[in-house]
Amino acid sequence: MTGDEWHGSFIRILLDQGVDPIEAQRISEDSRAEAIAARRHPAQLFGPAAAYATAVARAARPAPLNAPLARAKGPVVLRLTGVTKRYRRREVLRGVDLTLHAGEVAAVTGANGAGKSTLLDICAGTIKATSGVVERTARIGYAPQQHGVAPYLTAEEHFRLFGAVHRMGARKAVATGAHLAAGLGWRPRAGVVASQLSGGTQQKLNVVLGELSRPDLILLDEPYQGFDQDSYLDLWAQVYAWRDAGAGVLVVTHLLHDLDKVDHLLELQGAEDR
Amino acid sequence: MLLAIAGTSLRELTRRRSALLLVIALPLAFYSARSDEPGQAVRFLALGVGWAVATLALFSHVGSRHLDRRLAVVGASPTALLLGRQLALLGTGFTIAGAYLVLVAVAQDVERLWAVALLLGTTVLVAAPLGAVVSLALPRELEGALALLAIMATQMIADPEGALAKALPLWSTRELTTYAIESTGDEFLHRGLLHFAAAFALCACGAWAAAVVRLRPSVPPEPAPA
Amino acid sequence: MLDAMRQQWLHGFLDLCLLCLLGERRDYGLGLAQRLAESGFGEIPGGTLYPSLLRLEKQGLVQADWVSSAVGPRRKYYRLTAEGRVAADERVAVWREFRQAMDRIADRADLAEVETA
Repeated sequence: MTGDEWHGSFIRILLDQGVDPIEAQRISEDSRAEAIAARRHPAQLFGPAAAYATAVARAARPAPLNAPLARAKGPVVLRLTGVTKRYRRREVLRGVDLTLHAGEVAAVTGANGAGKSTLLDICAGTIKATSGVVERTARIGYAPQQHGVAPYLTAEEHFRLFGAVHRMGARKAVATGAHLAAGLGWRPRAGVVASQLSGGTQQKLNVVLGELSRPDLILLDEPYQGFDQDSYLDLWAQVYAWRDAGAGVLVVTHLLHDLDKVDHLLELQGAEDR
Repeated sequence: MLLAIAGTSLRELTRRRSALLLVIALPLAFYSARSDEPGQAVRFLALGVGWAVATLALFSHVGSRHLDRRLAVVGASPTALLLGRQLALLGTGFTIAGAYLVLVAVAQDVERLWAVALLLGTTVLVAAPLGAVVSLALPRELEGALALLAIMATQMIADPEGALAKALPLWSTRELTTYAIESTGDEFLHRGLLHFAAAFALCACGAWAAAVVRLRPSVPPEPAPA
Repeated sequence: MLDAMRQQWLHGFLDLCLLCLLGERRDYGLGLAQRLAESGFGEIPGGTLYPSLLRLEKQGLVQADWVSSAVGPRRKYYRLTAEGRVAADERVAVWREFRQAMDRIADRADLAEVETA
């Protein structure tokens, strides 16, 4: 790989990772000048273009967590009182209680089959609880674990469609979607439909659609398939960014990451046969 | 919102290239097999169009099930979701039907061409919600396609005078074909239109009721302040 | 294995190291790498160093300017901002506390070795 090729692929990857084009151009020129000043091949100085671009893109991203806002607990956005779900004889959830305010994060953990996704769907309203009371704010965002995107639509068409449902206006929806995607280190490309995206990128699209309308409550089934470590950290940075912006977040989590920072930890015990 | 759903749905349809091509080729194959005999050719062509549109509707509704549920959770009305997708399907169906109408006009000597246009139109109008009903009853593509195969094949084979044929959704297509090709009296037209109206109402209401039941999320009350 | 551990630690402390070195005087990338190596940290790959500098720049702790030179090539020089100076002082204080705690623990391990010996 010649130096020029290295720089070419470096800037391409920066753009793909959602770095603002002007910023990417500036960073790329800087790297070129650094390499010339050091009289070294860029691969020697910085390492492989892809790895370096990923590290730089993370560093260049506006860090939402540098100065945690003085956050005030907002109104209650979700309250579960004794929520129970039974499928025939199988009890999936028993007596779940939770009060989530705006500006708080609740993490739901538990083994596979413990009813995590069921609880999320009950909060969303696609499944009815067998007993108990669910109270919830109307403006919600919802990112389910699977099948959250349409395989034959591009990212931009997704933004338009969801924007229309949220009555946002097409241009605003597309701009907001692109902005939120950049926060997760991804730049949607025109003409690429969802089925052509990698698993991790599909999940990013899924998450962006969940927050497109800046909802008061975000219900998120944490994606893990196809998510690399960096994307995973970006996602959690995003969760706290939503919280600091005043949203309530209910996140179903599979890996125990940084759970000391969440406000509520709901550990589900799992199914019981009666 | 309705237009956005119809527009994206239309885009999705046009991107399912292989399904779309097969669906366009199906009526042509039926037609070619009977092209020597105008009455049968038109009848099979129309049933082919119906089958094709119903299958496309099935695929479209099955494919969008999860997305529609997600959209409904964040505020899309189930009626708009169903109607948007149906509009896209009807648009596609009428386009296919229009192209085949031109073929019939050029290749066949038909007494009442306007009636051929009418019967192709009624067929599309019944087929699109029929596909939706099947997709809501059988939520997977393979099972749904087999169900449509059973319905359509029975429609073709069953004795048209028998009760079974009349109970099937596209019996009107046959009556209207007879009227269009064989210069029969108006009773075929009236019977056909009556059956069409009933079949259309039944399929449309069925699809709508199923969409509302399946998609409408339960909306919990706003939380009382702490 | 021990190398990997050093690598990981350095990753956590690199920002602080850079703030301290830049607090001493302004410098350019390769110069900082040399000074880190001279301090005993070994060679820092550019792929680690430059993203760190960019992050500090983004956080407003460091300001970067391209400086032309009559003899050598144009170089990007970094210097601490006022905010960077405050952050450096705060973090050094936290580090000292942390180091004392760590030393106390490590010393106990040393003592125990003496006793059992």
